[in-house]
Amino acid sequence: MQSIAIINLVLLAGSALLAIGILSSLVAQRFGAPLLLVFLLIGVFIGEDGPGGVHFNDYRTTYLIGSFALAVILFDGGLRTRLSTFRGVLAPSILLATLGVIITALVVSALVMPLLGMTFSQALLVGAMVAPTDAAAVFFLLRAGGLQLQRHVGSTLEIESGTNDPVAVLLTIVLVEVLLSGARTPVVELIAMMVQHGVLGAIGGAVGGFVIVWVLNRVELPTGLHPIFSIAVAVVTFAATQVLHGSGFLAVYVAGLIVGNRRVRAFASIISFHDAATWLVQILMFIVLGLLVTPSRLVDAIIPGLAVSFFLMFVARPVAVFLCLGPYKFAVNERIFVSWVGLRGAVSIFLAAIPTLAGLPNGEIYFNIAFITVVVSLVVQGWTLTPLARRLGLALPQARRDVSRVEIDLPGQQEHEMVGYHIAEGSAVLEPGASPRWARPVFVVREDRILEPAMAGPLQPGDYGYFLAPPERVRELDRLFTPGERDTGEHSNFPLRAGVQLSVLSDLYGLDVDSELGERTVADHFAEELENEPTPGDRLSLGMATLVVHTVRDGRVAEAELEIGDRAGDSDIKPDSLDLALSALARRFRVLERRIFNRR
Amino acid sequence: MLSDLLAPGAVIPTLKVQSKKQAIQELAEKAAELVGIPEREIFETLLQRERLGSTGVGNGIAIPHGKLAKIDKLFGLFARLERPIDFDALDAEPVDLVFLLLAPEAAGADHLKALARVARVLRDPQTAQKLRATRDPAALHAVLTQAAAAPSNAA
Repeated sequence: MQSIAIINLVLLAGSALLAIGILSSLVAQRFGAPLLLVFLLIGVFIGEDGPGGVHFNDYRTTYLIGSFALAVILFDGGLRTRLSTFRGVLAPSILLATLGVIITALVVSALVMPLLGMTFSQALLVGAMVAPTDAAAVFFLLRAGGLQLQRHVGSTLEIESGTNDPVAVLLTIVLVEVLLSGARTPVVELIAMMVQHGVLGAIGGAVGGFVIVWVLNRVELPTGLHPIFSIAVAVVTFAATQVLHGSGFLAVYVAGLIVGNRRVRAFASIISFHDAATWLVQILMFIVLGLLVTPSRLVDAIIPGLAVSFFLMFVARPVAVFLCLGPYKFAVNERIFVSWVGLRGAVSIFLAAIPTLAGLPNGEIYFNIAFITVVVSLVVQGWTLTPLARRLGLALPQARRDVSRVEIDLPGQQEHEMVGYHIAEGSAVLEPGASPRWARPVFVVREDRILEPAMAGPLQPGDYGYFLAPPERVRELDRLFTPGERDTGEHSNFPLRAGVQLSVLSDLYGLDVDSELGERTVADHFAEELENEPTPGDRLSLGMATLVVHTVRDGRVAEAELEIGDRAGDSDIKPDSLDLALSALARRFRVLERRIFNRR
Repeated sequence: MLSDLLAPGAVIPTLKVQSKKQAIQELAEKAAELVGIPEREIFETLLQRERLGSTGVGNGIAIPHGKLAKIDKLFGLFARLERPIDFDALDAEPVDLVFLLLAPEAAGADHLKALARVARVLRDPQTAQKLRATRDPAALHAVLTQAAAAPSNAA
C-alpha cells in the first residue's frame, strides 16, 4: 500500500510542477526570458541541491528521454519547413551545418586544450558538444520574439539548426569511441564514417517519410490516431536508422520534411498534435537535464565554462560563420546576426551526457561545461536576439501578428481543407477584391447566424468567415486576416510598376539600397525576399521608403506601391554610438572581405 | 510649412486642362518660366517619372516630381485644376490638386523628405478643402505655406 501512496505523491508533485512551470513561463515571457531556461531551472530546483532534493544520476534514462525528445523535435521541425524556403540558401546552410560545426569544434578545442590541460581529442570532444546550434531554441526564439526576418537569413538559421545536430552527434560519438579505445582513428576513416551516417540517414528518412505519407493517405485509421501513428513511425525511423549505423537525427528531420511537404490527410490535426507534443518533450527534456546536473559541482567548472561560452560566442562561432558564408551573398550585418544566433540548447547537454554514459573518465567535466555554455547562450543570446536583429536592420518592418485560424480537415479528399477566421477591424480582407480566387467562401457567421456567402455579401468586421482552400496555401491566407495595425495613415503611397528596377528608385530618391540588389525589379525583390507568395499588403523596406504589394498575378507582384512615411528622413531615431561602431565595423569588414574574397 | 519650397508666384489658381499629359505640359511650361530651364527638359523628366508609376497619390491629389541637373535647390509649383482629370491615381479618383516638385540632381534623401512633406500637407482633408474653395493665388499660397502639418500623432 505504501508504494501506491508514494506513486500518488510522485504523480502529484510531477504534475503540479509541470502546471506551475507552464504558468511561470507566462511570467518569464513578460521579461522576454527564454522559456526553456525556466524548465531547466525547475529541473535544477527539484534536483539534489535544490529544495526538491531528488537524487537523479541516471544518464541512461536521460539519454533515452533525450533521444526521444530530439526525434520528436526534429520531426516537427521538418514538418513545419516548406521546401520552398530552401531555395537559394541550401548550400550556405548545409556548409554551416557540416563544415561550420567542425570549424567551431576545432576553434573551441584550441582554447580548451591549454585551458583544461586536455589532449587534442578530449578538447575536440568539448568543441563538438557545444558546436551545434539547437533547432528547438532557434526555431522557438526566432518565432517567439514576433520577429520576421529577411527570408534568406531566417531560413539559413533554421535549416542549419535542423541539420547540424546529426553532424555534432556523429562527431561526438566517434570521438568518444576514439577516446575509449585509445586508438588513433585515421582522419579518412572518420570522414568516411560521417558520410556513411549521413547517406544512410537521408535514405532512412526518405523511406520513413514516404511510408508515413502512404499509410496516412491509404489506410483508414480512426480519427485521432493519425498524429500518433505519424509520431510512432517517426521514432521507428529514428531508431531503425540508428541501429543500421545511420544518423537517426538526420533521418527524422528528412521524414518530417517529406510529410510536411506532401498532401497528407489530417495534416491539420497532425500539426496541432505536434504543437503540444513538441512542447511536452522539450519541457520534459529540460527538466530531466536540469535534474541531472549537480549545481554544487558546477562551481569547479564555472570559470572554464564561462570562458568556453564567451569564446564560443565571440570567436569560434563568428569565425565559422564568416568562413562558411564567405562565398555566398550575405551582407556583413547578416553574418554578424547569423553568428549571434548560434543558440545552444538541449542537444549540447544531451551530447554532454554521452561521455559519462560511455564510461569515459572525467565524464562530468564535459557535462558541466556544456551545461554552463547552454545556459549562458540561452540567457545572453536569447535575450538580445530580437533587439540585435532590429539594430542590424534585419527584422522586416512589420512583424506579422498571430491570427487565429480554425482548421478543419475534410476526410475523403486531400485537395482542400476548411479554414475559418475571425474578421478583425482593419484586416486586408475587408478591401474589395482582396480575397484570392483559390479560397472559396463557404459560409459566414454573423451575429450568431450562419449565412450563405451570396446572402452575406462582403465580409464585415466581427464576422467569422469560412473558406475552402488548398492546405499548402492556407498560410498565405493568414495575412489577409491580420489586423492592419500598420496603417496609421501617416504615409503617402505612389502607384509603382512592378518592373521598375530598384536602382532607378534608389537613384531618384537617394535610398540606401545595396548595389547588388540594384538590378532586381520590384517584383523580383518580393519574390526573393518573402518566404511565401506575395499577397497584397506585404511590405519590404527600401531605405527610407517602403515597397508594398498592391496586386498579385500568377504568384508574382503585378502592381506595387511606393510608400513614403511622413517621417521619412526625420532623424528622430539618431544613430547611437553602438550603431556607429557597428556600421564602422561593417565597413571595415567589407573592405577586408573584398580583399580576401576579391568580390565586386 | 512649405514656404521654403513654394515661392509666392509659383501658384496656378485655375488651370484648365483635359488630360494628364496636358497638365504636366502646362506645369512644365510655368516651371520653365520660373526657374529658367528649357521646358522640354522639365517635361521629359516628369514624364520619365510617370513611367515608373503614376504620381497620383489618391484623394484627388497628384505630386509629379523629378530630379534636374540644372537647378540648385528644391522647387515647388502648385496648380489647382478647374476640372478634375484622370491621373491613373492609386484610388482611380480624378485629380484636381497638383503639386510639382523638382529636386537638384544632388538632392539625395532631401528629395524624399520634401516629397513626404508635400504629401503630408496635401493629405490633410481641411487643407485640401481650403485649396479647393478658393481661386485667389495669394490665399492658395498662404494655405500651403501656413498650413499646420497634418497632425502626425493623431493615429
